[in-house]
Amino acid sequence: MKFLCNDCERVMEFVENTPSEGGGSMAIRYACPNCERSISMITNTGETQVVRSLGVTIGHEAIHAAPEPMAMIRGALAGQRTVLTASDGPEPEWTEAALKRLAAAPVFVQGMVRRLYGDYARQKGYAEITPAIMSEAREALGMTEM
Amino acid sequence: MADKSNILDQVLAQRQRVAGRLEEIKRIVAIMSGKGGVGKSALTANLAAALGMRGWAVGVLDADIHGPSAAAMLGARGQGVAMGMEGALPAIGMADVRVMSMDLFLEDDNTPVNWQHPGGLASDTFVWRGTLEANVLREFLGDTDWGALDYLLIDMPPGADRFETLMRIAPELSGALVVTIPSQVSHLVVRRAIQSARQAGAPLLGLVENMAGLADIEGETIQELFPEIGAEAFATEMEIAYLGRIPFDPRLARTTDAGRPFVLSYGNTPTGRAILALVQKLEEVLR
Repeated sequence: MKFLCNDCERVMEFVENTPSEGGGSMAIRYACPNCERSISMITNTGETQVVRSLGVTIGHEAIHAAPEPMAMIRGALAGQRTVLTASDGPEPEWTEAALKRLAAAPVFVQGMVRRLYGDYARQKGYAEITPAIMSEAREALGMTEM
Repeated sequence: MADKSNILDQVLAQRQRVAGRLEEIKRIVAIMSGKGGVGKSALTANLAAALGMRGWAVGVLDADIHGPSAAAMLGARGQGVAMGMEGALPAIGMADVRVMSMDLFLEDDNTPVNWQHPGGLASDTFVWRGTLEANVLREFLGDTDWGALDYLLIDMPPGADRFETLMRIAPELSGALVVTIPSQVSHLVVRRAIQSARQAGAPLLGLVENMAGLADIEGETIQELFPEIGAEAFATEMEIAYLGRIPFDPRLARTTDAGRPFVLSYGNTPTGRAILALVQKLEEVLR
């Protein structure tokens, strides 16, 4: 969408956009490059949401925003489970005995079990995974077959 | 005077993220039908597990946003999504298949996929829902730390509309595997889906006929499940390769519910062999 300054017959230029509190609308300001007359267009909720649904950030929130993985999903989805982040701790070390026990599981479940036990240990703050922690995780996660 | 939001730049950056991520993926295959209930998701899980057991690095992207099932079928439920340094870490399913699905984000079994509409009216959601859900697909592709993959299988939802979106986001698609069942209604819907995929510019790898008979658990016989209506002739008419028929085995339903793909336990049954034969054909076509 473009706007014309009737006095100067010049196309106005975009200056800034400012989101409203709550993000329901935006005020998008344009100014004439000749006389500096300006106007602001207020978007309605539908227009604002169409822009947001592109997965972009709008206005001041965008200035220093680095793209977060899955930012749009995590920002818009209602009823989400807790997402583990790198700050929840590093991947725990597996002891030799634990790796030996893991190797005894069917080959097609080993990667999955490793991930499940690793996440469990991180959530519990364990630095390493031992056979005892594997047993604890198995019980806690209800993995009776593994 | 600059656009503080840099919306165009943000959109371009999103595309670059997807393109960068897909550089590490050798083959991207969409499993599609157009029709619901033909067993696309169970077939995807079994193909992924079989490829994984054959030594390939495999990922499954569950593009069925409102009916996600890939995580459950691959035994990857309960892991959730973890954020790593290079992106969101996919769940790890049976046969080390990496899985990304909306199911992994949802709080519990009773939580449907609902989008918040800050400051707006719930009745406005139809305006932006389609765009937003197209961007879910983009985030799944571009923000997941898939790592290096030999195969990424995309389990498409019923309907043909999401396919065009996929082609726009991932034009690198290696091809689409089309699934039908022995039913005139299925062929009618699949016919339109094939045309739609063609119009979107997708290479079509072939047609597979699922639920083609009922496999006898005790032996090798196949009983009729649906009337025989000639999927091979249908494939010829549609000018698409016919990749074979997969009989239904009742144990497939049980193993699917248990999150353990059928081929892992029953590879040497008529159904298991048919799935493995399909895997070999895919390997040949995508060599």
